[in-house]
Amino acid sequence: MPVMRSHPRIQPLALGLSLVLCLWCLFTPSAAAQTPSASMQPYLDRVKANITEFTLDNGLKFIVLERHDAPVVSFATYADVGGVDEPDGQTGVAHFLEHLAFKGTTKIGTRDYAAEVKLLDQLDDLNAQIKAAQTEGDTDNLDALNAQFEALQAEAGELAIQNQFGQIVEQAGGVGLNAATSADYTIYTYSLPSNKLELWMSLESERFLDPVFREFFKEQQVILEERRWRTDNSPVGQMVEAFLDAAYTAHPYGRPVIGYNEDIRNLTRQNVHDFFETYYVPNNLTVAIVGDVQPRRVKQLAQTYFGRYPSRPEAPEVTVVEPPQTEPRSVTLKLESEPWYLEGYHRPNLMHPDSMAYDLMAAILSDGRTSRLYKSLVQEQQVALSAAGFGGFPGDKYPNMLLFYAMTAPGQDVETVATALHGEIERLKTEPVTAQELERVKNQAKAGLLRSLDSNSGMSRLLSEYDGKTGDWRNVFRYLDAIDTVTPAQIQRIAQETFVPTNQTIGKILNQNTPN
Amino acid sequence: MRQRFFFLGRQAVWLKRLLLVCGSLLMVVLSAPTVAAATAQHYTDLDFPPLRAVELPDYERYTLPNGIVVYLVEDHELPLVDGQALFRTGDRLEPSDKVGLASITGAVLRNGGTTEHSPDEINEFLEQRAAAIETGIDSSSGSASFSSLSEDLEPVFDLFAEVLQHPAFREDKIALEKQQWQGAIARRNDNPDDIARREFDKHIYGPNHPYARTVEYTNLDNIERADLIQFYQQSFRPEQMLLGIVGDFDPAVMKAKIAAAFGDWQPAAVASLPELPAVEQVNPGNLFFVEQPQLTQSYIYVGHLGGELSNPDYPALSVMNGVLNGFGGRLFNEVRSRQGLAYSVYGFWSPRYDYPGLFIAGGQTRSDATVPFITALQTEINAIRTTLVSDPELAYAKESILNSFVFNFQSPSQLISRLMRYEYYGYPPDFIFSYQEAVKRTTAQDILQAAQTHLNPEQLTMLIVGNSAAIDPPLDTLGETVQTVDITIPQPQNS
Repeated sequence: MPVMRSHPRIQPLALGLSLVLCLWCLFTPSAAAQTPSASMQPYLDRVKANITEFTLDNGLKFIVLERHDAPVVSFATYADVGGVDEPDGQTGVAHFLEHLAFKGTTKIGTRDYAAEVKLLDQLDDLNAQIKAAQTEGDTDNLDALNAQFEALQAEAGELAIQNQFGQIVEQAGGVGLNAATSADYTIYTYSLPSNKLELWMSLESERFLDPVFREFFKEQQVILEERRWRTDNSPVGQMVEAFLDAAYTAHPYGRPVIGYNEDIRNLTRQNVHDFFETYYVPNNLTVAIVGDVQPRRVKQLAQTYFGRYPSRPEAPEVTVVEPPQTEPRSVTLKLESEPWYLEGYHRPNLMHPDSMAYDLMAAILSDGRTSRLYKSLVQEQQVALSAAGFGGFPGDKYPNMLLFYAMTAPGQDVETVATALHGEIERLKTEPVTAQELERVKNQAKAGLLRSLDSNSGMSRLLSEYDGKTGDWRNVFRYLDAIDTVTPAQIQRIAQETFVPTNQTIGKILNQNTPN
Repeated sequence: MRQRFFFLGRQAVWLKRLLLVCGSLLMVVLSAPTVAAATAQHYTDLDFPPLRAVELPDYERYTLPNGIVVYLVEDHELPLVDGQALFRTGDRLEPSDKVGLASITGAVLRNGGTTEHSPDEINEFLEQRAAAIETGIDSSSGSASFSSLSEDLEPVFDLFAEVLQHPAFREDKIALEKQQWQGAIARRNDNPDDIARREFDKHIYGPNHPYARTVEYTNLDNIERADLIQFYQQSFRPEQMLLGIVGDFDPAVMKAKIAAAFGDWQPAAVASLPELPAVEQVNPGNLFFVEQPQLTQSYIYVGHLGGELSNPDYPALSVMNGVLNGFGGRLFNEVRSRQGLAYSVYGFWSPRYDYPGLFIAGGQTRSDATVPFITALQTEINAIRTTLVSDPELAYAKESILNSFVFNFQSPSQLISRLMRYEYYGYPPDFIFSYQEAVKRTTAQDILQAAQTHLNPEQLTMLIVGNSAAIDPPLDTLGETVQTVDITIPQPQNS
């Protein structure tokens, strides 16, 4: 597989939209929430008992889960910053920064930093001059500037050691080296043989203590390729971007995490630097370490290595609130693609008291062969090849979308699918879900968490994300208790509140070759 | 290394504790109580304690009188039991006028209910218990799996046995599965990645070869319920089954359950499945193009027929993969980071267990960079077969494999899956350790020799999906005749 650094919310849907659009599905409350039966509880308690935490003086929090089954350990560095935090006109800067966090430091990734840094500064100056010349239409000067830029860039490239950071990790036996940027957060992960705990401490602390955003302009090209691949040349990628744009008028959830083409092209190293200084502060980072380690040793090393970070002011939070929707919205794209139907409704965020009920409602509609949408739309009416819905789109830290999607079956159109979908949605409003259905999704949630416990990398992501997003990793387990309070009446109430035309956004992909 | 403790026999045999120390022979070191570093060290100044030994779990392998091979390993960390079965079959063995038969058989085996229980009853039963049973047939094997909380093991396992031995293949579920396929055919040109990979395979193995052919509307019309039953009977048979179970069970009880549920299973008398299809590359050294004018990128595959994992050069070729790929790899460094030509770029020797795989390189790049991207790939392919790799590159590639070797031994299910896979394809159970030893021995000369033997620039087939109007310089500057591929989907005859 090619090495890829992804922003998970913008992948093509073709393989199953819920899976790719909601990378963390396994770990959202809908899967994690449960009423632990008596037989489950001891296992969950045992895992909880193996988790410790500490916070350094500078505010950087560590969570450690001991698992000594194999001499390996997984790391996740969770930065509570994502696409939502970007300044207007600088969309994509969070993701750009994530790519540049693999470029090394003043000591890693360079043959001669003192010489290199001068070239990097000159390149920034030249880039500004080129932009100015472009704006002024100064074509005479532009050619010369471009030639100068190319030469300087080549010179700087000779001083860089490409991808040395990643090479060190891989050569040491590291696996799963990757990072992902979402609307809500950015996460950096890999795993090592457990005797190399200190290697991670050294590399990861230097990575964010002393980063050098080198090879900026080449990486800009790489990111533009990534955008072409995931969005511009993917029918579903185009639809996701257009859908969010239609669904939000104010909140940054309406913007693409990878960034608008124009914004990516206009970003500068200074933009990335400023963003880094503001958001990559110790009290905005959470580290989870899961595997064959001794917590005491982890704490000693963390103090030595990450204690070097100075305390910094808290990062700002997003304050924009999406105004209530007052009329239905829709967007239609005619593309080289068979039809897709999307329908979304605004719903509250992860911390809202109704959040769990939303997740269970989505599960009753969508999970498995007994789900209402599969049984009705796919199996009985046969109007769709697949149909499901899920919350947390494009994130869940802020009020977000419950998104339904369906691929039309052969010979069926999106209107037929919409009618069938509405039949199921209306049913939720008019009659309570059955006790059996509710019990089923609760059991599945229980087993879902249980099955995720044996993955070091999965647990490191889960614990760091919950802690970073909700303030406490214990919420992973608390949601299991919260699930008990969800009743059929509550699901009926939220269905009635949510599924109204004024809260609806529709997205349609129509085949541009089919006359309508 | 002292890992050769695998002994297979007819009776139960036990895997001894396995010392696994990557790179050196060292005794068990438990907690590595080194003194905490007083000051932060740069990575070059660090020394690491030796890696603690891996303890591989004991497993048991035995054969039932009707031929089912069973692997068992206990794992009581979580109250879960998971089973996986492999069956000797594959869609490569289905009749050429019924392409899709194997896949549909594999799906409806589970979805079509049993003679005792309707599909809805099975779905309700399993999902109420957060359990799962799945079946399928892919290119080279059939599979069946179950997953259950240990408290529900008995009924779930009984149902698993029932699904495998008494499927009903209900007509309405066959029709539903065919409809899924009709939808997939209609949608197969929606994604340029899918087009490129599918057409590349067709231009390596041949458009109608079992390793490249696609399901068409006409094939679906040829597939009847009787065909499913026959293919099922040929495929899902006790003497063609390997069953592995991992999890929270008592072995004596589990063995009794297996004997009760599967011991009486007798195979139906049907014709055997055919032999594996022969493989040879068609159309080597050609340049194929699929026109997709809406694209701003080209989707590029370059490669030729490859080999099998059993080839003695496989370890050297996998070290070669390491030199070319990954963060320290030549392609990532040169084509992505230095030239900024692609988000994704790779070049792999990609062998198969029992038939020739591929050498495959490629990625995506903006339309006007198509030719430079391909040229960059060709340059790297030529370089790896003409010049010795440097010592740091060799160290990077070898150590990446050897130091991460421990990740092959993280869980009992990993172990069982691997042993079953090896047995299925006729590989020795210690294959992974022979591979590890061979990687350790690999020299720059070995890589050069293997690359010269197995990579052939003259044979490289190129397949590009893109927008020819924006590909500048045009593809014909690569020095090959550009052959356009028509991917129009043949329409169903009766609609």
